[in-house]
Parts: sequence; C-alpha cells; structure tokens
Amino acid sequence: MAAPTPTAPDVTKPFDIVATYNELLRSDPDLTMPIAAIEALVLLLTHSPSSTISETLDLLEKSTTHLKKSIPNPIGLSAGTDLFQRYLITTLQRPGQLGPAGDFNAIRAHLLSNGRLFIRRAKESRDKIAAFGRGFIRDGSTVLTNGGSRVVASLLQKAADEKRFKVIYVLSPAKANDGDASPGGDVEGMETVRELRANGVPVATIPESAVAYSLGKADVVIVGAEGVVENGGIVSRMGTYQIGLLAKAMGKPFYVVAESHKFVRIYPLGQYDLPIEQHVINYQTAEDIPDGSKQQSLAHSSDVVDFTPPHLISALITDSGVLTPSAVSEELIKIWF
Amino acid sequence: MPPTSVALTPGLTSYLKSLKTNPIDTSIDNLISLLKRRQIRHSRSCATATAYLLLRVISACRTNDAGKLIERVQSVGRRLVAAQPREMVVGNIVRRVLGLIRDEAEDDRDADFNLSEAGSESQPQTPRATDDHSDSLFTRHERPTVSMSTPISMFSLLSHPEPEPSLPGTPASASPSGRLLGHTQTKDIRAEVIDGIGEIIDELGQVDDQIAAYALDHIHSNEIILTHTSSTTVQRFLLKAAAKRKFTVIHAESYPNNHEATHATVSGNQPADEELLSTESFQKPLTELGITVILIPDSAVFALMSRVNKVILGTHSVLANGGLVAAAGTRVIARAAKVHQTPVVVVSGVYKLSPVYPFDFDSLIEYGDASKVIPFEDGDLVDQIDVQNPLYDYVPAELVDLYITNLGGHAPSYLYRIVSDHYRREDISF
Repeated sequence: MAAPTPTAPDVTKPFDIVATYNELLRSDPDLTMPIAAIEALVLLLTHSPSSTISETLDLLEKSTTHLKKSIPNPIGLSAGTDLFQRYLITTLQRPGQLGPAGDFNAIRAHLLSNGRLFIRRAKESRDKIAAFGRGFIRDGSTVLTNGGSRVVASLLQKAADEKRFKVIYVLSPAKANDGDASPGGDVEGMETVRELRANGVPVATIPESAVAYSLGKADVVIVGAEGVVENGGIVSRMGTYQIGLLAKAMGKPFYVVAESHKFVRIYPLGQYDLPIEQHVINYQTAEDIPDGSKQQSLAHSSDVVDFTPPHLISALITDSGVLTPSAVSEELIKIWF
Repeated sequence: MPPTSVALTPGLTSYLKSLKTNPIDTSIDNLISLLKRRQIRHSRSCATATAYLLLRVISACRTNDAGKLIERVQSVGRRLVAAQPREMVVGNIVRRVLGLIRDEAEDDRDADFNLSEAGSESQPQTPRATDDHSDSLFTRHERPTVSMSTPISMFSLLSHPEPEPSLPGTPASASPSGRLLGHTQTKDIRAEVIDGIGEIIDELGQVDDQIAAYALDHIHSNEIILTHTSSTTVQRFLLKAAAKRKFTVIHAESYPNNHEATHATVSGNQPADEELLSTESFQKPLTELGITVILIPDSAVFALMSRVNKVILGTHSVLANGGLVAAAGTRVIARAAKVHQTPVVVVSGVYKLSPVYPFDFDSLIEYGDASKVIPFEDGDLVDQIDVQNPLYDYVPAELVDLYITNLGGHAPSYLYRIVSDHYRREDISF
C-alpha cells in the first residue's frame, strides 16, 4: 500500500482512489465499506478539476471500475459507489441550483462540505436500526449471532441497556489460527463479546461447528450483512448461510440487521454466482501441496463471504424500518428507475 | 362510566347513539370502558366506533392548525390503544386519521415547497435538522408528488436535509417565506379531514362487498371450501359466489368461543345481536342458495383436509410481516392445509392491516372467559386445574398463500407495501 494518504492529500499528488479507500477504512474502524467508497469518491471529485457533468460522470465511472478491480471483494463497496453515482445523476437532473441549469461548482461545494455529514448519518442509521431492532430482543431471550458486524454490536449494546438477555456468539476459529488476518491477534467479534460482557450481558462463545448444537437454546438469530442483494438475500461472512439453513430447519426466526446503504444491485442465483473470486473449494492432490499450510489459510481469509437466500430470512431490520426480503427490490428500484 | 343515557345494552349501537348527545370527554371515556370491558369486540365495530369518535373529536377541535389536530388525535388515540392494545384496528384507524391530517397539511404546503427549495440549499446543514426530522426524510416518497425532488429513502444518506422537513407538529416553520397569498388560500384542513374520516367510515361499511366482488375469481364450481368461525366477511364472500356457482362448504365451528355464532351462521338464525344489526343479519344462509354446508368441529379438520380444495379464513387483524391474528384454531387449520398443500386464502379488509411488527407473538393472544371451557359450577374441577381459553391464534405468514382485501389479492410478502401506502411512517408508533 502507498504511503498513508491523509484525508486531504496534496493536490499536486495524483489522487489514488484505492489507497484513499483503504486508508479511510483503516483510519475509522466504524466505517462501513459502502460509506468508505462514497467518501473516497467525494474526495476524488473534490480533487478533480473536471467542470462538466459528463466529464465528472466519466471520471466517476473509471475510478469506480478501478476501485472495484483492486479490491478482492467489491460487493459491499459497489453498493456505495452505485448509490453515489445514482445520487449524482438524480441531483444533476433535477431542477434547482444543483441541477443542469445551476452552477456545477455548487454541487462540488456541497459534496465537499458534507462529506463528514454523510458519514455521521451513516453512523446514525445504526442508532436508528438499534431503535427499530430493540423490540426483537425480549427479556429472558437468547440471541445467537456471528461475525463482527458493527450494526449487530450496536443493536445488542442498545438492547443491553434495558433488557436482560443472553448471547451466543459464533466465533470463527479459523481466524484464530490465521495470524495475519487480525492484527490484534483477536478473533473477529471478540471485541463485541468483551463489551457485552462488560455491560453485564452473559455471552457464550461457540465455534461454527457448534451452531446446530447450540441453536436449540437460542430464541432468535440476528446477523449482520456485507451487502443486501436485489432478491432480499444477503451476502455475508462465510458461515452465515449455514446458520440460516439451521435456523430455518429449527424454526427459529432469522433476522438480518443492515443499513439501507448496503443494498446492492446484484441478483445472485446461488453461492457460486457471486461476482467475486473465492478459492474456498480447492481440490488438491498430494503433488499440489509442496508445503501444506500455505494453501489452507487462503480459504479462511477474512474476506470470504457466502450468500444467504431470501427464503431463510424472516425480516431485515434496516434504518428505513423492518422490511420483508421482497421489499428490498422495491427500495432498489426506487433509486435506479 | 357506563352510558347512562341509553337503555340498550352497552355496545356499538348504543355507543354511536350516545355519541351525538354526550360531551366529547364522556364519549372518549365511554369508548375506553367499552373497549376495556370488551363490550365492543368485533374488529369492525371497534373500527367504526373509533372512526366516529375521532370524527367528533376533530369537529370539536376549534382550530385549523394541523399540529394541534395531530396532537389532539394522538392523545385520544394513545388512550384508546392503551385501553385495549390487542384490538389493533383502533390503532389503525387512529393512524389513518393522523395520516389524513398530515396529508392535508402537506398538500397545503406543497406549492410553497417547490419554491423554497432552490433558495434553501445554501443553508448551513445544522445537525438539528437531520436529527429531528430524519424520519420525515423517509416518508416523503409516499406523497403523491411527481417531481424528481422527492428524496428517495436510500438517498437520505446523501441528500440535503429537507428544505422543509418540518412536521405539522412544528407549524412555525411551515409558514411559507414571503408567500402570504398561499396562506390566505389555505383550505379548511378540518373540513377536509372530516371528509376523509367520512370516507374511512364508508370504507368500513363497504369493505365486505368490495371483498366479495373477488369471490368468483377464487371459488369455482364443485369446489369444496373449508372455512372457520362466523366471519361476516367470509359469509359475504361465499354468498356472492353461491349466487353463480354450486360448491360445497365445510364449516368448522370453534368451541367454546364461537360455536354458537357459527351454528347461527349456518342455520341462518342470527340472534338479535344489536352489535351486528345490519344487513348481514337478514341475509339468507348459504343453504338457501342450494349450497351444501357441512358443519364439523374443528378437531376434525385434518381428517377432512385431503378433500378440501381451498381454505378461506376470516381474521381478527393482519400484521405487517404477513402473519395474522385470528380466532383460536385457525393456526391448526392453516397448518393442516399446509401439510395437504391446500391453498389458504385470508379475506380481510385493509382496515385490519396493522403496521405493527409482531415482536412477541404471545402478547397478541387474548385470553377469554375460562368458564366457557369448564363452567364454574364444576367447582371441584376448577379448583384443581388451570383452565385457559385463548381467543386468538397467531398464524405465521408462511402458512398463508393469499390475502384478499378490498384492494384485491396480495401475496403475504407484499403486505408491507400496502402498509406503507396506508400509514405514515411517523405515525407507526404515535
């Protein structure tokens, strides 16, 4: 990675969108991928000298493609870039000072001055989700969750203030062996576990293999998502799909918590239809493995995701309310058409 | 505070009569006590009583200020809902009326909205604006505006704070800048809202006929239809189809709460129940139209289900996730139908559709008079055992194939859309 780019880098330096994106993600652990992408694009626009609409859109398109290519799993971030692009087009089309008749510099100024506002709103939407979602956690119930979703964490924290409940936290043991993936030497989600415990919430941590065993003790499953796709399914941390299947089989409600800016316009038909390369299933014979351990860590790197189809999801708790999976497509249609 | 002025037994009819003469506060208290004592219990009766009461409340409010009207309706609504939280139609009607007031207030302001938009975008983005009004950002798209300026919910992240995000609750900011003309043209919001409530009341009266209009699409010749309890909506639906087609109805009674009413429906001997005193009571039973009606106890449902072509159910209320709360025994029937892959059709007026999400299914179930199960004369037995008489069942959405409302047929997963069409998001928890 290039030298850390400050949030307002030198104008003379050529703007590197990928580095900016990575830097943004690293500098603020609370930032989600779509918002980091939007933020990076805003910075890009404020640095670019373009003054016409088509020039801007072209630049946006190119940088987006570049960014998507350079990131191993661009599903989450593409939600942000799409949203930003549509927003720009809609703003430019509508009458008013920001529209075609208006001053193009005005929109640039608006974006620049509001970059922080976007991020704050994105974080606020987590509070809103927490407010919507509190009702799903009842006194005396047990919640099963997984991954390191910040929305789930904030929901559970909020609920902890007023309810007594227990949490079963599914931790991925693969990550623990995988030294370099987590710089703190911590399993993903462990921090949430610690915070919840500090708040007096009894938390049990279980490995992924114990989900079926433990699910009988849980009343509700709440998971986060990296992206919510068009048919209402979710793209999420590897292992979510199996939790969904098990929850369905056991008749437990399976709720997804996600901000509405994570809605992304892809329509995966199954696990192997996601627009990303994941080498999860690696067939090997003895001669393929010169030194065995290297190959295995790839399959368990932090970025692998799976797709949970909509029929496994009871409801999506978003900042625009509690939605059924079929409501997702409508939200998407609203911004695209 | 029982209704003293009327000699009739307390119920909808007597309540509506007393509404004309009693002062508002007495009327509110009356309805609250009627709801609490369950002297008004059918969904539609509750809805009608609520609508008429709100009509009185609004017409007694001597103000044209939308904010004050909303406040007044909210405070009355809160008390009514608190009186009987399981009667969700009460809350639904209150929400619809609140939505009406908001619509009228916004229509009024719409012209000003477009004008003030251009000027206000250079306004500093105060955090207050987003905090207080972020909810209204999401609801703008429900307004019938055509311009692209309506923010779309996902864009709310990026968009400006609304130039005019004020709810009618803050009317000070609602006055248009420099458009005094627009203000003098302001129509009488109160009159419009009263008209709107009148429409809701009309809708409550027509809802069964509207639903019945879809009957011929769903009931075919020589089908065997299974139904449960004595829902007037279902009866209307079947009668409408019976006028044209011959089919068989298996009618499951629901002992101990509804069996007498079911028997009456089947035999056509409606008791003189003034709460339902309307055209339905004078209806011919299905048998007179040449329909074979088979009355069975609901314990026999599973045995007969394999022969049934379609299950048509009435409901108490419908929830936003597509589930429903209906008379006890409904879930068994829906489950049996699922096992036999028999389609389950639920007929319900839109007024029963509640934006409430069922977080806690158990809290939706109402428990009734235990003496109906075991009369208290059986003192010995009653002492030794715990007798329960749940009145309702929660039926999850996946057990229902189709909802027929007065707007047409909908899949359960589509109900959220109808909810967002009928209720404003800011009113969902008022």
